[in-house]
Amino acid sequence: MLYSTNFRSLRRLATASALVGAFLGLISPQVLAQAANTKPIRIGVPTSVQLQVGRDTLTAIKMAVDDINKKGGVLGRKFEFVAADETENPETGISAIKKLTADEKVDLLIGGYTSGVTLAQLPHISAAKTIYLGVGAASPSITAKVKQDYDNYKYIFRVGPINAAHQARNLVDYISNFVIGELGYKNIAIVGENAKWVQDLVPVLAKGAKDVGADVKLTELFDTQTSDFSPLLAKVKSSGAQYMIVVLSHASSDVFAKQWHDAQVPVPYGGIDVKSMDGDFYSRIGGKSISEVAANFAVRAPLTKKTVPFFDEFKKNSANSPVYTAFFAYDSVYIYAEAVRRAGSFDTDKIIKELEKTKFEGVAGEISFDEMHDVQAGKGKLSLIFAQWQDKGERVVIYPKELRTGNFILPPWMKK
Amino acid sequence: MKAFRGLDNISVVGGLGALAFLGFLPTLFPGKYLIGVLTVAAIYGIWSVSWDFMSGLTGRENFGHSLFIGVGAYTAGFLNVQFGWGPWWSLPASMVVAAFFGLILGFPTLRLRGPYFALAMLSAAVIMQRLMLIFWEFTGGEEGIQDITPLIKDPLHYYWLVLALLGAITWFLAWMARSRWGLILRAIRGDEATCLAAGLPITTYKIASLIISAAFAGLGGALYAHYQLQVSPQLFAVVTSITIITMVYVGGMGTIFGPVGGALLLTLMTEGLRNFGEWRLMVYSLLLIFILFFLPNGIVAPTWNKIRNLFSQERP
Amino acid sequence: MEILIYGAVTSAIYALLAVGFTLIFGVARILNLAHGSFYALGAYGTYVLTSIVGLPLWSAALIAIAFVAVFGIVVEKVLIRPLRHSQLGVLMISLAVALVVEQTLFLVFGSEYRNVPSFVDTKINLGGVDVAGQRLLTLAVAAVAIGALYIFIQFTRLGSAILAISQDPEAAKYMGIPSDKIFSVVMAISAALAALAGVMAGPFLSVQPSMHLLPIVKAFAIVVVGGLGSIPGSIAAAFLLGYAETCVAYLISSSWTEIVSVLATLLMLVFRPAGIFGKRAAF
Repeated sequence: MLYSTNFRSLRRLATASALVGAFLGLISPQVLAQAANTKPIRIGVPTSVQLQVGRDTLTAIKMAVDDINKKGGVLGRKFEFVAADETENPETGISAIKKLTADEKVDLLIGGYTSGVTLAQLPHISAAKTIYLGVGAASPSITAKVKQDYDNYKYIFRVGPINAAHQARNLVDYISNFVIGELGYKNIAIVGENAKWVQDLVPVLAKGAKDVGADVKLTELFDTQTSDFSPLLAKVKSSGAQYMIVVLSHASSDVFAKQWHDAQVPVPYGGIDVKSMDGDFYSRIGGKSISEVAANFAVRAPLTKKTVPFFDEFKKNSANSPVYTAFFAYDSVYIYAEAVRRAGSFDTDKIIKELEKTKFEGVAGEISFDEMHDVQAGKGKLSLIFAQWQDKGERVVIYPKELRTGNFILPPWMKK
Repeated sequence: MKAFRGLDNISVVGGLGALAFLGFLPTLFPGKYLIGVLTVAAIYGIWSVSWDFMSGLTGRENFGHSLFIGVGAYTAGFLNVQFGWGPWWSLPASMVVAAFFGLILGFPTLRLRGPYFALAMLSAAVIMQRLMLIFWEFTGGEEGIQDITPLIKDPLHYYWLVLALLGAITWFLAWMARSRWGLILRAIRGDEATCLAAGLPITTYKIASLIISAAFAGLGGALYAHYQLQVSPQLFAVVTSITIITMVYVGGMGTIFGPVGGALLLTLMTEGLRNFGEWRLMVYSLLLIFILFFLPNGIVAPTWNKIRNLFSQERP
Repeated sequence: MEILIYGAVTSAIYALLAVGFTLIFGVARILNLAHGSFYALGAYGTYVLTSIVGLPLWSAALIAIAFVAVFGIVVEKVLIRPLRHSQLGVLMISLAVALVVEQTLFLVFGSEYRNVPSFVDTKINLGGVDVAGQRLLTLAVAAVAIGALYIFIQFTRLGSAILAISQDPEAAKYMGIPSDKIFSVVMAISAALAALAGVMAGPFLSVQPSMHLLPIVKAFAIVVVGGLGSIPGSIAAAFLLGYAETCVAYLISSSWTEIVSVLATLLMLVFRPAGIFGKRAAF
């Protein structure tokens, strides 16, 4: 009897130990994981997925994520990312943020393109207390909120592009040193789409241009939906302008270029034209953008140690050359990773404090933030590079002089 | 035969039950995401119900409902951001402004026949959208007005507010539909000439119903503005009107409560299709075609009627 | 001077769209909101056939137009005809078709603008105004097409049949005119005209999935102003609106142009629903 009792209790003990052992065995990876916190860091990417700016944002993030993960991740955790289409419409943008923060529960957001959409998303990002690294929208109003209401909006950072005011100043330099300085054209026309960032940019541009001696013959903002530019182009021609500065992003740059070319408007043009940053812009409109000068944030030249390797690596991942959002999206991932390492934790407020101290050598220049979490512009930091479309779709840098790779050409119908 | 007096017991129970269920749903599945989706669904419900009251009963399909929605929303935006008024003022203000637009648009357009009325209202909505873009200095243009203050910060409580309003509006409009008012509107759909001959002031009724429809649509617009915390010209788009019309068709035209079900169903379906975001409009359009052909009475209302009949048969 | 020429080109495109729209209404009482989709498909069809399939421009254009005509016939037969008893039903289903087409184009081609090559790439100077050759060609083609349509209706048997049905459908039936077949023919013509407009205007206007919306609003505006069912009315109104828009664009600003047509529609509907030349009232 003693035997059987012992046996029974032994069996019970054995079963119990087995169960406990199995249980421990099952949960220990989780326990260990919890201890080491190896659940992945989720990046939410709200961007205009259909457009080049969106696709390149995602490609660049993938490149950065793969690279960092290969090297072991950050504090033992690896990155993963998920995209949400914000299109160019504030409504969809807000849904995208909601989906990423409430549903996908991301740890950080990298993305953006249309300033109006980003502005609409801000209160929702703030409510979700999630860090947002902007890579595409240029309106200063976005980061102005950081100063106005730090506690609620400290999560917002702009890694790129430089804001509209900085871009305006770059354009003024272009006008002053190149258009007037080298081409000798004093009469200019300013034409832009009626979007928030342009509304912010044009007044600074117009005043700056006048200050450097330009005669601004015409300033006109047209509706982003416009598809027939002939009245506008006719106005530009009759205004006596010798050069047309454009500020375009969402508008139909393709149609604009085609119509300008087909009517052989005797006024060369250039400026900020986001669609013209696309590698296939020239070829997809049958070469009709020839002689247009478009601003870029980086070209395949050693602006920093990372520029050329980035371009080459990007080529392996995509059929086209990268547009501006790619540079900043790529840098954003590393900037975040470094801030986390310096903070030594994933606490949002600690990370924000470290992000503010960022001094990072990025693809297009050195990235650092001002007191409004807005990326700083200037020599060695970020600035616009002006490249011209020439024969066979070649992009030739014509300004700033230090980076020039070729000579400026006039439109084919204006050659003497 | 009780239909015209008031709602019969089963409908009341059903309605209250549905409302309670919807109210408790977020507590069963906590999470901001669901609350967000349900809030939007409820607002679409308000828009659908208001549309159904006018267009469903009179048969004059209003393709420009988005105009009243947008007007209400922008009123909220203006008062809140431009003038700094407290957010609660938006609710009555949006109703008044939207009703006003209903009045001035109703007068000239309501004598037009079906398709022409529809297209006239569509044109009006397109014009409003354009005006918002043209006067961008005041209206924020394409990107609209941002930074609207929320009515109630807690999303769950806001949801309950919207749900309560939806319930109240549906009950009110259903009651109106079953009263003499509704009878006259339905008679207008049937045969206007006879109504005129009978001496009924049909123009007054038509315009009044449009005004009521517009007021509630505007209210929904204001609620939406305080939820999204921004307004943009997209609200005026044809797509908004079409979405609402689809919801009403799915729910059952002219039934008042059907469109609420339609709105809920379609909003949830949209969220379910989130991953195929680009396909959403496509699915809507195909659904619309499908329903026009095969289910002209919608899905929700006929289903409810069947359920109701089951219950009434079971009584001893 | 620019206003004169650009106005003419714009009016010509609108005329092509409006005539087709009013034709199908006059004959079959169908308010076809998918008309804009024919325009879009004409442009996209040409794009696909030239860029992807690699056909030369002329054949691509002709095939695209033919394809759209067939598509129009199918839509009419399968989707619209069953609902003919309800004008609103027809409206809704044609709108649904337009949305489906737009979404399909969006899903297949994305929202970016596509490039349709021009037939002529030269610039012509007319009275001191630089005009793109393609625009003038559009004007010429539109004139020829409408002229041909006119001759067709006035001088052929089929044309007379169409006229008969539009004037009195009952009587036409008694005379043994096969109305269903005529509807298909008219739909095909209507769709082909819209597609032609798309093919000619695609090179210099924007080609993107929502390009169907503005043309349909404008076509409807023109047709309401000119009088539903009246071809000369549509042409006259097309020019009226085309010039009004161009004047507004040059003298005021491009942003107001869209409002011109929509406002015209609204005002016409309110004050004179029959339009300038119309016989049929809207109430």
